Amino acid sequence: MRQADPGSFRDPASHIVFDGERVLRLLDERGLAGWEALSKTNFFDRASAEGRLIDSRLIDDPGNDAAAALEHPRIPFVSYPYEWTFTMLKDAALLQLDLLSEALADGITIKDATPYNIQFIDGKPVFIDIGSFEEYTAGEPWIGYRQFTRQFLFPLMLRSHGGVPFQPWLRGNPEGPSAGEMRNLLGFWQRLKPSTLMHVSLQARMEERMSGTSVRNELRNAGFNAELILANVRKLRRLIDRLEWGGNQEGWIEYESCEHVGRDREAKSEFLEDALARHQPRRVVDYGANDGHFSQIAAESGATTIAVDGDEPVLDALYRRGTDAALVLSDLTNPSPSQGWAEMERPGLTERARPDLVIAYGLIHHLIYTASIPPAAVVAWLRSHSCPVVVEFVSPADEMVAKLTANKMEEELHNGRTQGEFEKIVSDHFEINATKTLGDGTRVLYDLRPNLSA
Amino acid sequence: MLFGYLDAGSGSLILQAILGGAAGILVAFKAWKARLVGKRAVDQAKAESNVDEPAVPSES
Repeated sequence: MRQADPGSFRDPASHIVFDGERVLRLLDERGLAGWEALSKTNFFDRASAEGRLIDSRLIDDPGNDAAAALEHPRIPFVSYPYEWTFTMLKDAALLQLDLLSEALADGITIKDATPYNIQFIDGKPVFIDIGSFEEYTAGEPWIGYRQFTRQFLFPLMLRSHGGVPFQPWLRGNPEGPSAGEMRNLLGFWQRLKPSTLMHVSLQARMEERMSGTSVRNELRNAGFNAELILANVRKLRRLIDRLEWGGNQEGWIEYESCEHVGRDREAKSEFLEDALARHQPRRVVDYGANDGHFSQIAAESGATTIAVDGDEPVLDALYRRGTDAALVLSDLTNPSPSQGWAEMERPGLTERARPDLVIAYGLIHHLIYTASIPPAAVVAWLRSHSCPVVVEFVSPADEMVAKLTANKMEEELHNGRTQGEFEKIVSDHFEINATKTLGDGTRVLYDLRPNLSA
Repeated sequence: MLFGYLDAGSGSLILQAILGGAAGILVAFKAWKARLVGKRAVDQAKAESNVDEPAVPSES
């Protein structure tokens, strides 16, 4: 029984269905023509061999409702652009431009330009929407230019020029800011940069003046050609390659210099390795992954590992260093919800993660003391994953808790913060497999198994 | 080629000719001019048809 991917329906020529564990792309006649043109090119062979395009194989039996079907490998974890860091979106943008210019050289174009067509596999961006390629017709402009600016260029500019994180904008509107909105968001001096004058201000002005009119025939008759697309793409590539965001100066980037990190790291690693051996998970989520040390241990055990953290500089540094875990930038007090068409197009983080084991090291005291989540609610949330949890408890006497509560009165804090109270709450939801007290006794590790009678 | 499922935006299409450099600016200018001529012809045809037909239908 084939099941349609609720996130793949916009292009009538090509959409994804799941057949058990298999991932199939169903093509109509137009989609098939695109595939036949693409698969003959050197570009396709080269980009596939380099892992920049997802593997694709034409299958014999497409079924009754398709002209042809391709099979792709299953992507270990699907993440969305509003969960990516600056460098991840930048690398995805460069991949999109490189593929377009290389494809055009072989007479192929890409009919859209959205980061939702790119996924990170083994730490590298991979273009997954093979149905986006089709034969280039002489005189046609680049249909995806506007979409490229809204979903790649403007978000990167927003961060680089304006110092504003792009993720909330992409999460709020997956289409990305329009040129007119972007013009209003940029400051006076930013608007005077040649790149913003052209891609933002001029585009906004022309969109306003020419809305609802057709210009494709006029462009073709005026002599538009692929060279003009290539020249634009080359300039866009140079522009994006130079965009930086200075993220190294913020947040938790100095995490490794914290005293407890070095002191406890070995003991925490051993405890996690024991838990991994005990539970043999196939899929692990590391909440509050930070520098990715524990995610890497989980990944090296053979589990598909998803490293979640809300701190962009830290996660961006981890991406640039390289990791075997999939990365997700998300604030756990406000994780990505299910959204898009019918609230099914882009499933929420919890629905996509589906772990067999949760790591929550160095996390829950931030939820309890910084975000004011009651300890009982934190434990209930951990239990909601219905799988074993490896969690670090931090007592009120810990130096980090003292920092987090420096400006809070005792009566402003929730109950359940002492080790005794915490263990009582835990016992309502979990059985304790193992514990280990760290360093000076203010931090305790727990390996918890869901209590099925709870 | 069929026009894609994506709305490319007329202003953005003309703009990308300009972004293509000096040769593109000429292409954009020609396309712009052709569009103006086309629009004027449509406007004129509309104006003429309005003359032929009364604005308010007469009662029979």
